[in-house]
Amino acid sequence: MTTKEWRRTLSQAGDLGVLHVLFSGGEPLVRPDLAELVAAAREAGLYTNLITSALGLTRDRAERLKAAGLDSVQISFQAAEASLADSIAGTAAHERKREAARLVRDLNFPLTFNVVLHRKNLGRLESIIALAEEVGAERLELANTQFYGWAFKNKEALLPTRAQLEEADRIAAVAKVRLRGKMDILYILPDYYGDRPKPCMNGWGRRYLTVNPVGDVLPCPTACEIKGLHFDNIRQHSLAWIWAESVAFNQFRGTAWMPEPCRSCDRREIDFGGCRCQAALLTGDAGNTDPACSLSPHRDVLNRIVASVQEPLESEGKTASSNASAWQYRINPGHSVT
Amino acid sequence: MNDEPHNQALSPGTRPRLAAKARVQTDKLSGKLVLLYPEGVLLLNETGAAIVGLCDGQRTFQEMVTTLSERYGSSPDRLSADVAEYLDRLRKRGLLDLISEGDGQ
Ligand SMILES: C[S@@+](CC[C@H](N)C(=O)[O-])C[C@H]1O[C@@H](n2cnc3c(N)ncnc32)[C@H](O)[C@@H]1O
Repeated sequence: MTTKEWRRTLSQAGDLGVLHVLFSGGEPLVRPDLAELVAAAREAGLYTNLITSALGLTRDRAERLKAAGLDSVQISFQAAEASLADSIAGTAAHERKREAARLVRDLNFPLTFNVVLHRKNLGRLESIIALAEEVGAERLELANTQFYGWAFKNKEALLPTRAQLEEADRIAAVAKVRLRGKMDILYILPDYYGDRPKPCMNGWGRRYLTVNPVGDVLPCPTACEIKGLHFDNIRQHSLAWIWAESVAFNQFRGTAWMPEPCRSCDRREIDFGGCRCQAALLTGDAGNTDPACSLSPHRDVLNRIVASVQEPLESEGKTASSNASAWQYRINPGHSVT
Repeated sequence: MNDEPHNQALSPGTRPRLAAKARVQTDKLSGKLVLLYPEGVLLLNETGAAIVGLCDGQRTFQEMVTTLSERYGSSPDRLSADVAEYLDRLRKRGLLDLISEGDGQ
């Protein structure tokens, strides 16, 4: 989409009552006009968040984003130690991210420190929290891996053991109390180990929408993975029309679409049947109850995956190359701007 | 950042200041004020909005209570506890800096 098309989209979002915009991806810094888009979003009354790997965040760019009115910055890290972080990232990224975090704090942006947690870094949670404190993050997002796309293909290498997870839960809970009022910690539970699904997107077509780089409007950033769902495009329709009328948004909106056990469940307006993408991926039908719910008739699919990764971790050692934990790096990630 | 917020307990001379990351905005749908911060929204009712509007880092807690009691015609003693509780909630979410007496700006 052109700069002009994005500006129009952002202004329509403001009119629709949207309050926040997350410039994400893919990698939003690959757009040379990002500062211009931030300014357009501010003009539309939106609170602007940049969600970035921070590779490519030079001082000049950061200053231009500041001048454009960017409200907050989130940087993704892979771990606290450069060797581990770089082996996870597949490139020497860690020191550059630390440098960028310093720059972000220098310019007085509020900083969110994001780490996707998995088998290889979950045991190092304490050092991750310490690094987030050290760089002066105001918010720490500890996001246990969601298993879609690339992560799903590598689930054997990424899924932690139950013991690993219980230890991490405990560490996160303690840190949360210790840092209250200083650093806000959001610990996102891994739903493979839970009994109830996450309230994905706070309900389909209820709070969130995603516009991807070609202008397709999606109910969630990964909705593309659901085969057969048709998305409307911002070049053909207004955002208000799409929000109200698009088939993709209406398909799983509300509770009428729900099968049992969701339909008669007293939690149907609390967790909204869980995640449509996960249901599609694990059961072949996005209209099923998310197997992350223990009441799902497909729960055994998930239980089998979980059971297959419970052997102890000692064999994995400290390197990223041992057999049980080897993974494929992603060559060409898809892009999307939320 | 060079001026570290001093997040201690609230005393009459404390000057509350809205954290830099938080921004008050009108919600276009309801016409009401909301407080926006990274990945969060707090809906402000009328009193909430009045309290937040006074958190400018200039007024002391005591002055805030006085202003609000004049505006709403209720006794400062009654208001004081409610305002303190509201401010404490904001502070716990990291949305408020408390500048204590004697601290420079
Ligand atoms: C997909 S990235 C895109 C933006 C940018 N390239 C970045 O690194 O932040 C957006 C966010 O999703 C997180 N993320 C990526 N894959 C994830 C997964 N499988 N589960 C949970 N979070 C994930 C990233 O850490 C990042 O905070």
